[in-house]
Amino acid sequence: MRRFLLAVLSSALVCAQVSYDSGRKVVLAGPVTRIEWANPNAYVFLNVKDAAGTIANWAVQIGNPLDLEHDGWKSSVLHIGDVVSIEGNPARGSSRRAFATSVVLVRTGAKLFTASAKRAVKPPAQPAPRWPDGHVRLGVVPGTKGYWGASSATTLMETAVPITPEGLLVNLSDADKVAPLQPWAKAVFEYRQRTLLKDDPLGRCLPPGGPRQFQTPHGFQFIEQPELGRILVLLGGGDRNWRVIYTDGRPVGQKDEDVRTYYGTSVGHWGKDTLVVDSVGFNERFWMSSNGLPHTEALHLTERFSRPDLNTLKYQVNIDDPRAYTRPWNAGWTIAWVPGEEIQEYFCEENAESTFLR
Amino acid sequence: MRKLAGLLFAVTVIAQQGHPLTGTWNGDWGLNSTERTQITFVLNWDGKNVTGIMNPGPDSVPLASVFVDVTNWTVRIEADAKDGHISAEGKLDDLGSYHRTIVGTWRKGTAKGDFKITRD
Repeated sequence: MRRFLLAVLSSALVCAQVSYDSGRKVVLAGPVTRIEWANPNAYVFLNVKDAAGTIANWAVQIGNPLDLEHDGWKSSVLHIGDVVSIEGNPARGSSRRAFATSVVLVRTGAKLFTASAKRAVKPPAQPAPRWPDGHVRLGVVPGTKGYWGASSATTLMETAVPITPEGLLVNLSDADKVAPLQPWAKAVFEYRQRTLLKDDPLGRCLPPGGPRQFQTPHGFQFIEQPELGRILVLLGGGDRNWRVIYTDGRPVGQKDEDVRTYYGTSVGHWGKDTLVVDSVGFNERFWMSSNGLPHTEALHLTERFSRPDLNTLKYQVNIDDPRAYTRPWNAGWTIAWVPGEEIQEYFCEENAESTFLR
Repeated sequence: MRKLAGLLFAVTVIAQQGHPLTGTWNGDWGLNSTERTQITFVLNWDGKNVTGIMNPGPDSVPLASVFVDVTNWTVRIEADAKDGHISAEGKLDDLGSYHRTIVGTWRKGTAKGDFKITRD
C-alpha cells in the first residue's frame, strides 16, 4: 500500500498528464508483451482482449524498480508471453494505462511485486549526529549512507483536510481551510483543483520550488559545507535539482534587479539546534505545492529545519505572501531518514510519459 | 534544428503562475473585422489592485482602473486616452494557459467595437 501511494504520488508529481483514479478499478488479463524495468516507474505491457475479441495493449505501472528490488523482486520473475491477471486503478482520461494493485501470474497463481513487510520496519532510534562544534548534522555522517525520503504530509496545508495523494481535495469546500487565500488566489486554487491539476508545471519537468521540494517522492540530501559558508540541498525528485542555502552571514534579501528564480535566494543561520532559512526572490513559474496553491513574486519563506533524532527531520515553514494570502501562515511535517542508501537516479524527462509510453 | 526545437519547447512551457492578469497582453480592437487597431497592456497585481498602462512608450496611457470579478473572471478596464475615454469589458479565458486571452466589448467615446488580447 505504501508503495502504491508513493507511486501514485510520484506519478502526480512527475507527470501531471497521467494521474490514476483511485476511485475506479480495472481488471486486465492477457499475455505480457513488454517489460520496462526503468526508473522511476517499472511497467508491464500486456495485450488484453475485450468481449468483441478486439485486442488492445495496456501499460500497467507496477512501482519503482529499486523499491521492487529491495523487496526481492527482479524483472526476470516475468517473461514475455506469460499470462497475467492484473487489478488496478485506471488512468484518468481515455488512455489504456493503469496502476497495478495486484499482479498474478496465471500459470502458477503466484502474486508478484508485493511489498515486503521488512521495509515497513522503522530503523532503531538514535540521537541526531552532530558536528564537532556541537550543532546538529543535517546530512550524512562520514562513512555512512542515507538520505531524506518520505514526508509525513503529501501536500502543503495550514489545516489538514481530506485530500488525495495527488493533491486533490476530497471536498472543494475545504479550500478556505487549506490556506488564508485572497479571493483571486482562492479562485485560481479552485480552478486548478477543478481541472485536476492539469497545468502543474512540475508535470512539464519544471522545478518543485518552495516547500514542495521537501515532499517529492524521490527524496533529498543536505551537503553541509561550513568551510564554504553554504549548505547544498540536492533533490532526488524534481529532475535532480539543487539549491544553495548561504550560511556565511550575508544579509537576507534580494535586489529588485536580481533575476528571480525557482528556489529564490536563501540565507540561513543556526539557532541552537534549528537551522532557520529566509528565502525571497522567487519567480511565479512554479507551484509551491502539489495541490496548486498560487504565490507571487512577493513570497517570503521562513523555513526551520531540525533533527530531533537520527531518523527524523522536522520541517516547518512560514509562508508570507501579502499579494496572495490575507496573512502569513504556517505548515510543517516530518521526513524520514532512509539509512544505508543513496538517492536514486531519476530524470523527469525520462519518465514514462515522455519516452517509452508514446 | 534540434536546438531550435528545444528552445521553442522551453518557450511554450514556461508560464507565469501568479495573479492571472499580471504580464504583458497584446491584441487589437476594432469596429469591424477589417479595421483593427493594435493594443498592448502591461498589467501588474500589487496585492490590492491591478494597475498598469496601455501602449507603453511615448504615447502610453495610464489605466484609471482595472476591475476583476474572480467569480466569473470578467475584467473591466478604464482609461482616459487623449482622444477619448476607453472602457473595455471582457472575459478571461483558459485561466491555466500561458497564452490566456481576454475577449469582449471595447468602447471609446461613442464608438463600440470588440477586442481580443492575449498574454505574451
